Amino acid sequence: MKEIAEESNPSAGAFETHSREVFSRSVESLDMRVISRLNHARQAALEAAVQRRPWFLQVRVWTPAAGVTAAAVLGVALWMGAAAGHHPPAVADNAATLEDLDIFASSDEGSGDALEMLQNDIDFYDFADTAANAVPVANSGPAA
Amino acid sequence: MPAFDTLTQAWTVWDVPAPARGVAVLDETRELNKFLGEVERRAFRMAQVALRDPDDALDVVQDAMLKLARNYASKPSAEWRPLFYRILENGIRDLQRRRTVRKKWMVWLPGVKEDPDNEAQDPLDNVASGSADAPELLMRSEAMEKLEVALRELPARQREAFMLRNFEGLDVADTAKAMGCSEGSVKTHYSRAVHALREQLGEVW
Repeated sequence: MKEIAEESNPSAGAFETHSREVFSRSVESLDMRVISRLNHARQAALEAAVQRRPWFLQVRVWTPAAGVTAAAVLGVALWMGAAAGHHPPAVADNAATLEDLDIFASSDEGSGDALEMLQNDIDFYDFADTAANAVPVANSGPAA
Repeated sequence: MPAFDTLTQAWTVWDVPAPARGVAVLDETRELNKFLGEVERRAFRMAQVALRDPDDALDVVQDAMLKLARNYASKPSAEWRPLFYRILENGIRDLQRRRTVRKKWMVWLPGVKEDPDNEAQDPLDNVASGSADAPELLMRSEAMEKLEVALRELPARQREAFMLRNFEGLDVADTAKAMGCSEGSVKTHYSRAVHALREQLGEVW
């Protein structure tokens, strides 16, 4: 679109001024019903502006409710699991292992702590291992 | 409420004490109230010129206020005016488009009368309240009525440019933002509008 310069001659300026005045007077003479309705509309808009809040600021409002809900769901799940006699399989499978460890670590062995006994015999096991791997000296004499 | 560019920035603002936030919101609301109070009557009259119907004009202005408050209140207040008028002009165009479609349907429907927008207005509606004497009021009313008729004869873009520049006092840049076009187009539309109005209304008006 070809650009045309805005009006700058005096008569055009007078026309613009006059039309602006006529319009302003018509705005000033609006009836009370319209003014009242505009006022109500403005109040509604201001209320909307106050109530509006970005989503990330609303997170804190929902966090306590979400926490309570999650806790309630977890509680119900645990309660229903206990009522049905259901236990987690991992615990059942490892029950024997835990029992063995308990016996091994217990001090009711009569001669003392089992772990302590094992520690004292380490030197013996070390000697036995060396002896088993050594070459017999008696049988290694020079051949005649 | 300030604009947030990043989540961190928003979180920083959120972490300030509640009274400070409350004061900021209060200031913003007060400023928005002042702005809307300044523009609402002129906006209504401009919408009324374009739509002819005061109830439709009120609806469009109310809608523009709500949209500005909900979506753009956090923008700097200097940007509110062009934004508000852009929303308003979009609302006016939407309503005019709906009316056109409705009229087209009415032609095909038997037994349906002409659109009520064309009904004769009550002359008392145009009589202004106030302390001025009757002849002056009548003269003012006639002048505005002639201007309104002439404005309605203009193409929509010329009318928008004329009302925003002349009635609302927006500069070329803000008018371009409000109309969603270039500044050059605004100047062209405005110049053509002034020419057309002067031709139609004459020097006597």
